[in-house]
Amino acid sequence: MFSGMDYAIEMRSVTVRFPSRGGVVTALEGLDLTVEPGQVFGFLGPNGAGKTTAMHVLLGFIAATEGEARLFGRDVRESIARQRIGYLPEHPDTYRFLTGRELLDATAALFRLDRRTRRRRVGESIEAVGLGEAATRRIATYSRGMMQRICLAQSLINDPDLVILDEPTGGLDPIGRTDIRKIIGELRDRGKTVFFSSHELSEVELVCDTLAILARGRIVVQGSASSLVAPGERLEKVFMKVIADAEEERT
Amino acid sequence: MIRILTLARVVWLDVLRRKDFYILLILLAILLVALLSMNVFGLGGVTAYVADIGLLLSWIFSWVLAISIGCRLLPQEESRGTIFSLLAKPVRRSELIVGKWLGAWSVVSVATAMFYVLVFGVTMLKGWTLPIGVALEAIVLHGMVIAIIIAAALMFSARLNSDAAATLTGALTATSFLLVPRIPEFVAEAGGVRGGLMLFLYNLLPHFEIFDLRMRVLHNYGTISLTTFLMITAYGLLVTAIFLALAWVAYRSKHFARGSLSGY
Repeated sequence: MFSGMDYAIEMRSVTVRFPSRGGVVTALEGLDLTVEPGQVFGFLGPNGAGKTTAMHVLLGFIAATEGEARLFGRDVRESIARQRIGYLPEHPDTYRFLTGRELLDATAALFRLDRRTRRRRVGESIEAVGLGEAATRRIATYSRGMMQRICLAQSLINDPDLVILDEPTGGLDPIGRTDIRKIIGELRDRGKTVFFSSHELSEVELVCDTLAILARGRIVVQGSASSLVAPGERLEKVFMKVIADAEEERT
Repeated sequence: MIRILTLARVVWLDVLRRKDFYILLILLAILLVALLSMNVFGLGGVTAYVADIGLLLSWIFSWVLAISIGCRLLPQEESRGTIFSLLAKPVRRSELIVGKWLGAWSVVSVATAMFYVLVFGVTMLKGWTLPIGVALEAIVLHGMVIAIIIAAALMFSARLNSDAAATLTGALTATSFLLVPRIPEFVAEAGGVRGGLMLFLYNLLPHFEIFDLRMRVLHNYGTISLTTFLMITAYGLLVTAIFLALAWVAYRSKHFARGSLSGY
């Protein structure tokens, strides 16, 4: 049942099962999740907890077996639900035969932005991720860090109200991580919602104001960062304890 | 419409900037050498024969290009992982399929038109008089065949990898081209259940033979009537639309997961 309030993200009793050789695998089980507009929301969990599956349900890549999901009040199965969304996948890759600028222009066209707005947004996005002159080069010549940046720029091209980032700092050097953190901070300052998963708990601690920890397809803890992590305590310790408790409860 | 045109433009840039476009240049070179080598065998004066070989090669080359480009468009989005960024945009899967089809059809059609220009150019240099009207009809109807082949390629590649899709598209289109025109003969000979089965196949498979105006061009039989031309074009559009609709049905409920080509 949906609340009627326009959450940035609203997932109600979402279950995802898929057939496997050994039977049926349950990737998500009755997942309930709400993210309010303007939050920087950290979505944590060990490998295989279902974080990416939950994101894929939100983006319409896979359909929920049960339950429903909405973005800003719109059913995720409608393509229009993604009009206000930016998404950076884990291990991002893109059309390497295009230049950075061409890629961003094509992406902006997919959002039906007019030519003038496209030109402005392309320039702003290139500046935001610090690509500069490299934007006129073919993406095939980019380093891993530059690839991450152009894909991030692509996810920001429509000036989204909600940015979904799947492991955005994975494989980046310290400078790249700092830049991502800075961009997330700027998005928060502009009132945007950021929903991101990460294994880098120290990064999460620095930027998130709300957290959820997922284990075996269920949310086991959710709340404000300050309520979950006591002063002087580290998120890593809380995370390990929560996961251990969840495992113990299951067995 | 802007999304479809953008997706089609990306297909063009992909074909032009990747090594695939060299295939076209190699094919053109082979065609040119084949046409010019006719003099070596003393056949240079038989211009209709040169045109016949040239047009046959144009059909074969455009068939190869249509299958090789059409079958990889959807699977490569998954193998590259770009499908995730693409479908995270407000792009409908139907728009994705139509955009890919439009890009592939236009690029292969332009390549085919270049083949025709080359064949007609060489044969006219050898003194042949080109029947312009029927030649234009032949090019347009050849474009319809390309539209059908690419739609079939997208239909198969919506669920299969590019190799499997290419094999099935090749088998379907080759059967339609080579076998379908002869089925009525088989039906007359076979009769009974086998005949009925063949008749079913005859009605099910696309009829590429009606798009093939090579003989009319070579022997200058004149243009076909406008009504016939429009009916053939409408038939081509209908078959293309059916294949694209089937591609959409196969693709619309497809699940995507990283590391799995066919999803789960």
